[in-house]
Amino acid sequence: MVNPVLFIVVPLGLAFAIPLLKYISKKIIRFVPALAFLFNLVFALRLIPVVMDHPVHVHIGGFIPPMGINLVAGPVGMLFVVLIALVGFLVSVYAFHPVKEKYEDRYHILYMLQLTGATGVVLTGDIFNLFVFFEILCLASYSLVAYLGNRAGIESAVKYLIQGSLGSGLILIGIGLLYGQFGTLNMADIAGRIHSVQPVSVYVPLVLFITGFGVEAALFPLNAWLPDAHSSAPTTISAVLSGIAIEVGLYAVLRVVFTLFGISNMMGFFLVLGVLTLLIGELCAFSQDNIKRMLAFSSIGQIGLLVFAFSLASTQGITGGFFQLASHTLGKALLFLAAGYMITRTGSMEIASFKGMGKTMPFTSLAFTIGAFSMVGLPPFMGFPGKFMILKAALHDGQMLTLILLGFILIATVIEGAYFFRVVQVLYFAGDDLPDRERAPAAFSRLVPIFLFTGLIIVLGIYPSLITDLLDASALELLDRPGFIKSIIP
Amino acid sequence: MNFLSEYTYYIGAFSLIIIGLYIILVKKNLMKVIIGFSIFDTGIYLFLITVGYLREGTAPVFSKSGLDAGKMVDPVPQALVLTAIVIGVAVLALAVILAIKIYAHYGTINLRKIKEQRW
Amino acid sequence: MKLEILLAVFFGGSLLTYLLGKISKRARDILAVLVLLFATAGITSLYGKSSTATLYTGFLDFPMVLSIHPFAWIFALTIAVVGLCAVIFSWLYIRKKGRTDFFYFMMLLVIFSMIGIVLSGDFLSFYIFWEMMSWSTFLLISYNRGKAIAAGMKYIVMSVAGSLAMLVGMISLYTQTGTLVFEGISGSLNSASSGYLQFILILFFVAFGIKNAIWPLHVWLPPAHSEAPSPFSAVLSGVLIKIGTFGFILLIYGIIQVQVFVNLGHALFNVRNLLLLLGAVTILIPTFIALFQDDAKRLLAWSTVAQAGYIILGIAYGTSESLSGGTLHFFNHALFKSLLFMVVGAVEFRTNGVRDLNSLGGLIKKMPVTFVAGLIGVCGLIGVPLTNGFVSKWLIYHTLIVNHSPFLAFVALLGTWGTILYSYKLIHHIFLGQLPRKYEKLQAAPVSMKVPMIFLSLTVFVFGVLPGLPLHVINLSELGFGMEPLAINMWGVVTGSGSIQMLNIATALILGGIVLWLFFRMGPKNTRADQMDNYAAGAPVPADRYQYSVKFYDPLTRMIAPYLKDIADNFYSALARGIRNAGNGIRRIYTGDVGNYALYIILFLAILIFIQLYWKVW
Repeated sequence: MVNPVLFIVVPLGLAFAIPLLKYISKKIIRFVPALAFLFNLVFALRLIPVVMDHPVHVHIGGFIPPMGINLVAGPVGMLFVVLIALVGFLVSVYAFHPVKEKYEDRYHILYMLQLTGATGVVLTGDIFNLFVFFEILCLASYSLVAYLGNRAGIESAVKYLIQGSLGSGLILIGIGLLYGQFGTLNMADIAGRIHSVQPVSVYVPLVLFITGFGVEAALFPLNAWLPDAHSSAPTTISAVLSGIAIEVGLYAVLRVVFTLFGISNMMGFFLVLGVLTLLIGELCAFSQDNIKRMLAFSSIGQIGLLVFAFSLASTQGITGGFFQLASHTLGKALLFLAAGYMITRTGSMEIASFKGMGKTMPFTSLAFTIGAFSMVGLPPFMGFPGKFMILKAALHDGQMLTLILLGFILIATVIEGAYFFRVVQVLYFAGDDLPDRERAPAAFSRLVPIFLFTGLIIVLGIYPSLITDLLDASALELLDRPGFIKSIIP
Repeated sequence: MNFLSEYTYYIGAFSLIIIGLYIILVKKNLMKVIIGFSIFDTGIYLFLITVGYLREGTAPVFSKSGLDAGKMVDPVPQALVLTAIVIGVAVLALAVILAIKIYAHYGTINLRKIKEQRW
Repeated sequence: MKLEILLAVFFGGSLLTYLLGKISKRARDILAVLVLLFATAGITSLYGKSSTATLYTGFLDFPMVLSIHPFAWIFALTIAVVGLCAVIFSWLYIRKKGRTDFFYFMMLLVIFSMIGIVLSGDFLSFYIFWEMMSWSTFLLISYNRGKAIAAGMKYIVMSVAGSLAMLVGMISLYTQTGTLVFEGISGSLNSASSGYLQFILILFFVAFGIKNAIWPLHVWLPPAHSEAPSPFSAVLSGVLIKIGTFGFILLIYGIIQVQVFVNLGHALFNVRNLLLLLGAVTILIPTFIALFQDDAKRLLAWSTVAQAGYIILGIAYGTSESLSGGTLHFFNHALFKSLLFMVVGAVEFRTNGVRDLNSLGGLIKKMPVTFVAGLIGVCGLIGVPLTNGFVSKWLIYHTLIVNHSPFLAFVALLGTWGTILYSYKLIHHIFLGQLPRKYEKLQAAPVSMKVPMIFLSLTVFVFGVLPGLPLHVINLSELGFGMEPLAINMWGVVTGSGSIQMLNIATALILGGIVLWLFFRMGPKNTRADQMDNYAAGAPVPADRYQYSVKFYDPLTRMIAPYLKDIADNFYSALARGIRNAGNGIRRIYTGDVGNYALYIILFLAILIFIQLYWKVW
């Protein structure tokens, strides 16, 4: 068994080793992120059976909670760690072929910091520590969005930074309010005592947290940064932002709502909010001509669906939500990588410029198609079990509100299908059939991650039971609040 | 009057926060918005410090035995503020760098005119 | 033969066909035919068996069940046979085009997904195969590029909408009964309320109705059928839309018992009457829309919509005779409609893609075999005695008349009248009349196209004379549904007022034919005149074109065309435009001004706080 703290320490340490390693060889630094996340992936997978039995707690510096900072590697945390490490590893393989020749070392440092931040957020059991890791994630994201240094990138980064910092400021106020009332920062400790004080004085930090983390989680009115940032970031970063960053934001919201505050009568609001986010995301994506913007809006839609699933607050709903989350992470990372690879060939992000790609880049087009089908929820790809589970949970819930919202979800799914199928048609069928189109030479390091993502999507689409045990345990961790508190503070 | 003296720091902190928010929301000059953020952050730091502040408290150092821990200022918020300041500085630095880049690309730092990424 | 092995061979074979195409085109063509031959043989060997196999339980703890019973058997066999013919037909048809490996792969995938659907024993595998069929169909419809892209889009959007409705329905059934296996569901639905059953029925009817192209849901079909490659149009029209039929029968007769279905709801406003009404509308409107079409495949496509109406009438009526009629009509329609699409496809192949009826004509001299095949197909479509369509239509008419549904019977007969008109138009415009100059060097259809056409023509004829063969299997399936089957023998239905014996009819017709032949034989011998050797009221005969094919049925068209606008299509187009505009409007909230964005954040916070102030959620 490996100490969960290594999942944070190894990438962090290696990130800051990069400036030194640069003096040994410029080439070697490309492999450092892959190495770090491969380490995380392997050991996180090995840790999962242990975690399924009982959560692993690490007390930093030996202080027993509620003192000091503690790490909680429960099923939820490990699910995210595995996803982060998996996407981190594959995306860093994609980046073996550098995104931009200049300042490559900085790209790798920031990339590793970003994912370290994400890992820290999901592992920590301390609210302020969570904030710090969250800031690491956000700061690295701001700078990576601007990494290409072009007009779009800089503009998006500024806007992202302004909205993100505003959100972080609100979180910090919330932390201050909580600390003022409870005198502790340990989430389990706060959670255990949350019902002992005046309602209003806990409600304000709650809404501050929801708003603050909601900015990163791209809830409906807070998500204006997302289409800009996702579409103007480098391909790899778009994949990570869409596949990891917003999910981690969502994790923070979930942790706050379910564990920290344990509020249950706001779920109607979240159900509506989720469906609103979904509908608006899909409607906006429907009329986009820019492929990355379209994918970004689709991410907003997917986040809406996730919020809906989690807000059902039942075991089935949360399990389905986690499955859909994993499916979105893999699928959207795949779509961004495939689209980005095609963009490097066409030099344009216009969907119309992708015509004939099915001939020139057959594998990438196939991967994109599979990713798109998975997003829409067609079997036998990974999106289908996710959608199936969410619908099952919603119908099992059976309330009138849920059923009405379900109708809207179906409409949104049809819209989503329409714009994804449009791209697939452009890839394969647009324009005249040119019998002997030159097949572009393939970069191995770029095709491998695309292949692996595609393979995972198909395998998990056919055998969803491979991960459902972990997801069930995760759902239990979120719902079984007293158990969670008790496991940290006996 | 008693109320004021009791809550001076809180009032100050939240005034700063509100002023900062106002600047962020209303001003169109990117540099002013960054300054607004600075004020906003300062307000938050002040608020955090105030949370742990104890009137006439002593430094939380057990320099000799027999000191009453109840009379000490809570050290945790101060640690938090230190961390937050570090983060704030990083964000500020990044924001200023981006402002320079914005000026290089657009020739203006008027946020109302930088609207290429939309819809 | 074990079902799971059968399916494994199907899908493995499809993939292998695709990969083999990268090495050798000829080997791929042969392998595709072999796989389908194997499928046909394998399914034939399952005749009369009823067995169930649990495939694997790894999918979210739902067992995936395959089952075979006579009812599934007849569908599976039809699919395999039509698929086999279509694949043989596409040998030469597709050779000129690009991406042939892909075409074969998708073709096999569609065919085998359909077989998977009819063989599945639970809703989960049903749904999975259904969706695989949907997306592979989408890719095939779009295959021809150009106009086909819009057609494919229409298809897939409607299809996704339908399958989502089905997904909701099936999960709702799961929450109600705790299982997705058909038998389990039908066992525990007895206690379900009538309102719930109607809700479920409506959800599934959206899904099946879209596939089966029932009237307001039919809009995808005409463009899709006409723009798809012809061999695939044959599959599409012959069997794919009948998967909707399969679903209807399965749901009404297999899961909700038919007695329950017939007595469901209010005496007048119930799902059955709705379905009958829609079936009637589906016969009436598309038949006459088909009349105006100048594109051969589009005409056939509208005809398919109309014929689907007959099938729906038969199924929704809910007596064993009507079910026999409906199922038999499905079977017959699969044969003659795929035959007709192949005929049009062969013409299209030889004339380099001409489908415009007004510019064809006189091809009987150049493509005689194709003409005969087309004639037989059209006879089947109309329901001329001695072709298979006669028997099934007879059964449907008879049901409607003896059960006192005069309006439905009238609509069905009116539909047949329209069918005669457009069928004549089709056969006349392509094969009769004057041969345009440019087609004087036209070759007959190649052997690889003749073989499936001749085979299907024979089946149309054989099952027209011996309707007892399919009716026997249908009887077995009706027994499986717990219904009293019709009394039949080899030549048709034996007892009751609806008895129909093709032996007698055939004898009468053949004798009458002999008499007629003798009669004409005795008359003066006719002389053969060249087409140009003609008298045109003193005017010189135009050398190139002397044929009244443009503006055929013009007075009739002018009379009824204003009433036959495709309202449904306009409605969906408007809906799509509306959604697009809504999207364009809504995304203006992302104004690009970061001040607004910051304001959104603060407003969201304020709204959250207001929620607490008013509703006290904490």
